[in-house]
Amino acid sequence: MQPNQPVIERTTGRTVEINKVLKNTYLLLSATFIFSAIMATISTLMYMPPMTYLICIGIAFLMIWFVLPKTANSSSGLITVFAITGLMGFAIGPLLNAYLALSNGSQIIGTALGGTGIIFFALSGYALMTKKDFSFMGGFLLVGLMIAIVASLANIFLQISGLSLAISAVIILIMSGFILYDTSQMIHRPESANYILMTVSLFLSMFNIFINLLHLLGFANDD
Amino acid sequence: MDWMKIGSAILMIMFLVMIFPRVKHELKHGKKGTQQEWLGALALLGGVALFVWLLMKSV
Repeated sequence: MQPNQPVIERTTGRTVEINKVLKNTYLLLSATFIFSAIMATISTLMYMPPMTYLICIGIAFLMIWFVLPKTANSSSGLITVFAITGLMGFAIGPLLNAYLALSNGSQIIGTALGGTGIIFFALSGYALMTKKDFSFMGGFLLVGLMIAIVASLANIFLQISGLSLAISAVIILIMSGFILYDTSQMIHRPESANYILMTVSLFLSMFNIFINLLHLLGFANDD
Repeated sequence: MDWMKIGSAILMIMFLVMIFPRVKHELKHGKKGTQQEWLGALALLGGVALFVWLLMKSV
């Protein structure tokens, strides 16, 4: 029995660490979603101009690249996360107003929101329950994301609607892959999975799924 | 609207620049999956694609 003792202790310690990362990440993710939804509602009610989207997303990304890595290991990281998610929520106000102007706009927004939630819970739940390691997808997902961004960049000037729809579909699949990847990172590498960074990563995946699902549903609606 | 296009393009180029080192690192040192692992992951993504298609049909 004696030699097994440290192994058991190590396993228990690791399980506690995994549970801590998972609990903190999902709690923070829930809180940021509520905050982001409030900010989106404010932006919608204020009828913010379309440029709000670009400005807020731009500032949010600058914070993700330059502020978040410096604050992720301190309590100020929480303020950074709420600032980023709040800005991203505020950014989509003009987009939501454009959809709400359609005859069944609220149905499209509701379907996109529900669809995003189902995709997230199904994939994250699958990774949690099966405990499969999806870290092998990292390179594939990042290369896919780079290709999708290059295609989006080209389409800003080409304005091909078919390409725009294809990009949206591909981004939904890539972000779904990132949900699997991030969830399995929390299970298999809890020591390197910072819950603040994980929250932002999962938030970005869900945000992108929602925006692109909205685009596809808007197209399917023929408006 | 032109400055919106230029702004979006700048943001995307910055994104590519920021993400490139991580892509390079992941391709060099990232874990390689087995055929079975890839099939499992692709089946899940196929499920997502089917779900999105059903959502598009429902609106």
